[in-house]
Amino acid sequence: MPDLLPEIQEIFRDIFDNDKLIITRESNASNVEDWDSLAHVNLVTAIEKKYKIKFGLGELQELKNVGDMIDLMKKKLAEK
Amino acid sequence: MNEYRWEELTVGLAYDFEATFTEEMAQDFARISGDVNPLHVDREYAVSAGFPSPVLFGMLTSSLYSKLVGVYLPGKYALLEGIDLDFNAPVFAGEKLLVHGEIVFKSESYRRMEIKANIRKEDRKLVSKALIRVGMHD
Repeated sequence: MPDLLPEIQEIFRDIFDNDKLIITRESNASNVEDWDSLAHVNLVTAIEKKYKIKFGLGELQELKNVGDMIDLMKKKLAEK
Repeated sequence: MNEYRWEELTVGLAYDFEATFTEEMAQDFARISGDVNPLHVDREYAVSAGFPSPVLFGMLTSSLYSKLVGVYLPGKYALLEGIDLDFNAPVFAGEKLLVHGEIVFKSESYRRMEIKANIRKEDRKLVSKALIRVGMHD
């Protein structure tokens, strides 16, 4: 499975309109500027579209950071 | 006004309607927005720039995307959350515009959909196209 972090970073850079944004597994809404609820919806739907996967609301509510999201994505992609 | 609920909306659901703008509407838009660029409100200037009459503001004709979402697809319960927009051709007062929108993506987790939409003239010439991100309220 490819390293998802660089690909996720590109999605973040597009949505936050910031080509210099660096995302790590520890990134979350409290340490990334402008990561508000609407940006969050944009991120989740962009990931769902790009990878053709679907998240449940309960699954998303348990995520604490980008690392958790990547782990969930890997699980979803493995199930495809 | 349509009152679609989330469960009733499906990928492929589409809506079409027509609209026409007047020069008076363009004057109103200039007053409201503060964009008083003469290409849009000064006939003599527009003709000298090579156009048959003042060019309608792209953001005025694109307000039809707001109507599409807020009145028809999905209508009453819509939240317009974002729009990617391209302008393809100038429009002039009095021209009939055909608006088309279709749901192309639905995400259940946050109840977000995407609508691909376009505006064309009667001869099918593309005026603008948009990808619209839409949520729903209760």
